[in-house]
Amino acid sequence: MIRALPNTLGALGVAFLLAFPLLYAAGNYDYVMHLWITAFFYAILASSWALLAGYGGQFSFGRMAFMALGAYSAGLLDNYVVLSSAPTGTCAEFGLFGGWLVFINPTGVSTSAVNCLQAARAAWPEGVSTSRLPLIVSILIGAGVGGGFGWLIGTLVLRLRAAYLALFTVGFSEILRAVISAEVWITRGQAGLPMSPIFPDGITLFGTYFASNAKLPVYYVMLGLFLLTLLVLILLARSRIGLFLRALREDEDAAEALGVDTVKYKRTVFVVTAMIAATAGAVQGHYVGIITPNTLILLQMALVIAMAVIGGLENIVAAAVGAIIISFGLEFLRNDFVILGQSVDMSTWRLVFFGLLLMLTLRFLRNGVIHGGLLWLERRAVGAETVAKRRAGAEGSQ
Amino acid sequence: MEYSLFFWSVMGWMVIWGAIGGSLIRHAYFMRDLDVTDARRVGVAVGAATGPFGLIPLYLKTPKLTRVWKIAPWLGVLGLFLLTFALSDPGNVCVSSGSFLTSQIANGLIMGTIYGLMALGLALIFSIIGIVSFSHGEFYMIGGMVVYYVTAVLLPGWNPLLAVMMACALTFCVGALFERAFLTPIYDGRVERPIEYSILVTFGLAFFLQYLVQGLGGANPVKADAFIELPRWRFPEDGSIIATSRANITLFDTIFVSTPRLMAAVVSILALLALIWFLFRTWWGKALRAVAQDRQAAAVTGIDPRIMNMLAFGLGCMLAGLAGAVLVQAFSWLPQTGAIPALRSFVIIVLGGLGSLPGAFIGGIMMGMIEAAGAGCIPDPTRAAAYLPAYGMVVLTLVLLLKPTGLFGRKA
Repeated sequence: MIRALPNTLGALGVAFLLAFPLLYAAGNYDYVMHLWITAFFYAILASSWALLAGYGGQFSFGRMAFMALGAYSAGLLDNYVVLSSAPTGTCAEFGLFGGWLVFINPTGVSTSAVNCLQAARAAWPEGVSTSRLPLIVSILIGAGVGGGFGWLIGTLVLRLRAAYLALFTVGFSEILRAVISAEVWITRGQAGLPMSPIFPDGITLFGTYFASNAKLPVYYVMLGLFLLTLLVLILLARSRIGLFLRALREDEDAAEALGVDTVKYKRTVFVVTAMIAATAGAVQGHYVGIITPNTLILLQMALVIAMAVIGGLENIVAAAVGAIIISFGLEFLRNDFVILGQSVDMSTWRLVFFGLLLMLTLRFLRNGVIHGGLLWLERRAVGAETVAKRRAGAEGSQ
Repeated sequence: MEYSLFFWSVMGWMVIWGAIGGSLIRHAYFMRDLDVTDARRVGVAVGAATGPFGLIPLYLKTPKLTRVWKIAPWLGVLGLFLLTFALSDPGNVCVSSGSFLTSQIANGLIMGTIYGLMALGLALIFSIIGIVSFSHGEFYMIGGMVVYYVTAVLLPGWNPLLAVMMACALTFCVGALFERAFLTPIYDGRVERPIEYSILVTFGLAFFLQYLVQGLGGANPVKADAFIELPRWRFPEDGSIIATSRANITLFDTIFVSTPRLMAAVVSILALLALIWFLFRTWWGKALRAVAQDRQAAAVTGIDPRIMNMLAFGLGCMLAGLAGAVLVQAFSWLPQTGAIPALRSFVIIVLGGLGSLPGAFIGGIMMGMIEAAGAGCIPDPTRAAAYLPAYGMVVLTLVLLLKPTGLFGRKA
């Protein structure tokens, strides 16, 4: 009975998540939906990091960098590439399936500058239609860019010791932040790059129309991505690759001696998790509507790590559940309060609290809270079975 | 840049011939059954510096790769790079103004000393405990914050050196306490994977400290006053050798150095001398070095490695705190200040060879020069400043590609 508990709980959890937006009737509907969408986003990042770090022993601090690569690639395509039914004559463009693929010249943060598409629009006759690239294309390209950078970094540092990967990925996200902040002409720097909503024209589901800012369709998109991520990660972890990963985590030299091409498998997993992070970043960017270089600060990466560690580094689902719980916890700890006449700024102190919690979990609960709990349940189940078997044996022999 | 096409085509030429040289020369040495440990690196350097003109004789002769072979081609690469830069951008202030160039070099040396000091802390921790501390930048930040709060808020008017000492004491104690509380499990196998554990737990500490300081002191930038303000002084009368004003020192009318940075370098050189004295002339220092060399042999002779771990971590954190404490008068300070110096220290210790103390210091000086050159000479000044952390990453990438063990590293 106890043994089946985790799986039962998991199935119940998925059913609950699927039904939640339809059943929820209390106040602040949009706010609660937003919390869930953010929680799924962090859960995707934390669980993919758990595969890389917990199964593979590769501690990359670049999760947010890949996320930003995906988001910025999708955002740049969204802003500067347009499908048009007529040539503009002024932009860089080429024909594609009877239409024209137009590359708009970036005009930076200036509001008065006119880009080539606006100039062309003034001269066009009526009836010329322009549209942005299909969302799925830009998200896939974002994932590809993330994966490509993952491959380059993996090729460079994965053959070295663990500390190098951590060092290099910290540096990589710092540089990416510097580049995005400095190249204002194309990324708009700190002003942020605007992105179109996931369903720009709204969507009709089962006869109900949802406007482009409605939360429910986005909730299901993010939930779908989250469940897909979990599926991919679990399949990967249970495949031969997962086995090789755990082998090389325990003893890389021994694994290599037994014929495991360690660099190859490490790199495969590195690229796959980078692509997952980039996809999540692109979708989240389209949902939030704007992306800024501040997603790359230490805080964001530290939160993902704290979520995965507190949930349980060596269990993908536990890391995801930890991420959901912590992202709700962060939201509920947001309210400032007054103690002894001093107002306490909780938006900072909650992070201090989570930093401490991360260190203490690492120190005293190696398996994390949720994965640790599951292991404890499993041990109890095995214990109970053994006792029952012995008792049965003892009775049988009398 | 005036002739950027010329510049980039020469760079492309160098990269292509470097890549060809790397594989070709290694292949030649490998086929003739010679020592291939340095062949690839020498091939890259000879290819980049001379193109086919050096590669072909090297390929045919395959001489024994002595020290000259390992160093001279790299100087050639550097020379070719500088020459190309000077030719392609004759209007650049770095090329046309000798005074600016010497000032940049002096500034690079000064900043490099402080970078070296900070990286020395990281190298010390690595050489004794064998971990890379990801909270190094936060100790740097705390060092600066302590000096600011002591000199500007708590005890205004006291000697700032006292505040520097308090910063050192605090960072030492925090580091040593953290080591006791959180790093002890990695020595006795209580955690399965000590390296990974140490990366995560020091990262957690960085996060914790950064937001703790922000919670206590707020998120606004602060700036401490300069430690000393020099009197106006000329020597000789017309100031042609030394001339000082409140914020600047001018040497020989050509080298301009800002006083806060110079003071910071002076304090760090004093600290460095004290550290060298400590490491080489006291029992504790010798014990530390003994543990770094051979942990078990040191334990046999009666040195308690656990105390040495604590001392090393505390000392390492103290060096970062000291670097921050002397630099807070030169830059404005935020709780997030530590990220880029931490990154730079990582680059420096990889460049110098993980765990090599002289390597860390020399790497620091090189890093200071590279950053000064990058910040001063790259044509677009706003970009040059924004990309300050990127120069380190370029260096790191090159080191990882060409010599992952670093300049002075032991075999990894």
